[in-house]
Amino acid sequence: MTAPPGGTSAVRGRIVVDRLTKVFGTQRAVDELSFTVEPGSVTGFLGPNGAGKTTTLRMLLGLIEPTSGTATINGVRYASLPAPLEAVGAALEASSFHPAHTGLQHLRIYCAAAGLPARRADEVLDLVGLRDAAKKKTKGYSMGMRQRLGLASTLLGDPRVLILDEPANGLDPEGIRWLRGFFRHLAGEGRTVLVSSHQLAEVQEVADRVVILNRGRLVRSGTMAELSAGTSTAVVRGPNLHPLQQALVAAGLTGSTEADGSLRVQTDDLRHIGQLAFQHGVELHELSLSRFDLEQLFFSLTEGAHQGSDLGAYTPNGHAPAHERTRQP
Amino acid sequence: MMRNLIRSEVLKTRSTQVWLWMILPAAALTALSTIGQTYGSIYDNEHGGAAIRYYDIFTTANGGGVALLVIGILGLTTEFRHKTITPTLLAIPGRWTLLVGKAISYAIFAFFYAVICIVVNFAIAIPWLDAKGIPVEFGHGVPGGVVKAFLALLMTALFGLGLGALVRNQAAAMVIGIFYFAIISNLLSVIPWVRHWIYPWSPGGALDAFISNGTIRNTADDVHRLAPLNGGLLFLVWTLVLLGAGGYFSLNRDIS
Repeated sequence: MTAPPGGTSAVRGRIVVDRLTKVFGTQRAVDELSFTVEPGSVTGFLGPNGAGKTTTLRMLLGLIEPTSGTATINGVRYASLPAPLEAVGAALEASSFHPAHTGLQHLRIYCAAAGLPARRADEVLDLVGLRDAAKKKTKGYSMGMRQRLGLASTLLGDPRVLILDEPANGLDPEGIRWLRGFFRHLAGEGRTVLVSSHQLAEVQEVADRVVILNRGRLVRSGTMAELSAGTSTAVVRGPNLHPLQQALVAAGLTGSTEADGSLRVQTDDLRHIGQLAFQHGVELHELSLSRFDLEQLFFSLTEGAHQGSDLGAYTPNGHAPAHERTRQP
Repeated sequence: MMRNLIRSEVLKTRSTQVWLWMILPAAALTALSTIGQTYGSIYDNEHGGAAIRYYDIFTTANGGGVALLVIGILGLTTEFRHKTITPTLLAIPGRWTLLVGKAISYAIFAFFYAVICIVVNFAIAIPWLDAKGIPVEFGHGVPGGVVKAFLALLMTALFGLGLGALVRNQAAAMVIGIFYFAIISNLLSVIPWVRHWIYPWSPGGALDAFISNGTIRNTADDVHRLAPLNGGLLFLVWTLVLLGAGGYFSLNRDIS
C-alpha cells in the first residue's frame, strides 16, 4: 500500500487517495493523506475518534470538498462516475432513512434514482436478511436492522467498490459473524471493500490490509502480513524466571516483564526458549505464543489520541502501555 | 438521469402520507377564500351585474398557496432533517442536477394540488352563485385569472423549495415562510410609505400583483403596483434567486 502512482489509478475498483487535506477553520481534520486500496481486498480503515476517517470517506464520496489533494475511484472523482451506485456502494450512517418509509420503499427510491429495476430492492433485502421487515417503517427498526438496511442500499447497483463506515455497530454476534463472511465473500468476488471500524478484533479477522490514521495523518498502512511480521511474542510464566531472563539477554532476545511477573519475549521460536529454560533449570508453568495483535499495534500507533474518546477507557488486554513496561530481560 | 431523478423524487414524496394530508389544508384554505368572496355577492340589476367581482371569486384558488409553500419547503428540509441527503447525493452526486430535478418534481406535485384547488373553487362558487340566482359569467378576464392562480400556486411551491434549500432547518424555514406570507407581507401592504416603495417589489407584493385584476390598476390603492405580468415575472425571479442562493450557499456546502 503505497502512495498512488499517477498513471495507474484508473484500475477498476481501485481507490486512490492522494495528498488529501481538509481544513475546518484552524483544524486540519485530514492532513496530506495518501493511500491506495486495491480490488479484491478488504481494507480496514482505522483510527481513534476524530482521526479524520469519516471526513476522508466523505471526501472520497464527494460529500465534502477537499481543501487540497484528490480522492478517486476507478481513476475519477466520485461525482464524475457515470453510474455512481453501480460503481460504488457506500453506507456512512446507520440512520439515513425517512422514518415514515418502509425499508422496501427506501430502497426502491434509490433504485429509481439509479435507473435500476424495483425488484432489485427485494433482492438485496433478501441478501441482508431483512425480507420479513421489508414493509415495516424504518422508525421501528433496531440499530442492527438499520445497519443491514444501510448495507442493502450499498448493494443495490451490484457495485465493485464498497465503502462502509462502522458497519458492525449495533449488530449482534450472529450479525457480526455474518458480516465477516459477507465481506470475505465480496472480496473473493474481486470487489474492493473499505471498512472503517472501531472493532479492531473484527477488522483483524476479516481485513487483508489496514490503513491507520491518527490526527488526520497516516501512521501505518500495509497488509496484515506486513504489519504482523516480527511481532509474535512468546509468553513465559514460572515461579522464578530470573535465570531465564539473563539467559535470554545473553542470547540476544528482547522483551518485557509484565506486572504479573510473566515474560514477553519478541520471538516466535518457542523451542529456543524451552531449551534455554531446560539448560538453566528453570521451572515453567506456561510457554506459549502470542500472535500479532492489531489492537496492540493500533494503541501503540495512536497513543495519546484516546483521551475523552470511547477507546480511552481501557488498555488492550489489560496490558500496561508499552512505555510503562520494563525493557528487559 | 433526470428522468430517473424525477421518478425517484415523486416516489419519495408519494411514499409518505404528507402529500395526502396536505390536500386537506390546501382544499380548506381555497374553500375558505372562495366562501369569503362568494358570500357577499349580490346581483346588481341596475349595473347589469357589474358589482359582482367574478374575477376575485375565480382567482381565490390561490388561497391554498400556503399549503403549496409548505410542500415546497419540505422538499429539501426533509432530506436534511432525516439525513437522507447523504444517500440522495450518493445516488445523484450533481447538486445542481438534484436541485433542478427536485424543482421539476415539485412542479408536478404542485400541478396536482393546483388542479384540486381550482376544482374546489369551482365546486363551491358555481353552485352557490347559481343558488343565489346570479348568472355565472366567465368573462372579464376570469379564465386568465384562473390560469394566473394556477401558475401562482406552482411558483409558490418552487418558492418554498428555494426557501428550504437556503434555510435547511425545517422548522425555521416553515416559520419564516408562513410568517412572511401570512403576516409580514400583509403588514408591508398597509404601512403607508412601505406599501408604495417596498411592498410592490417584495415576493408577496409581486405575487399579489400577479393575481390582481389588471383592470383595477391606477386607482389610489394600486397606483404603485406592478402590472400583473411584471408581478408574475418578479415573483419568478424571487423564486429563482432563492433556488440559486439555496443551491449555491446551502446545498453546495459540505455534507457532514
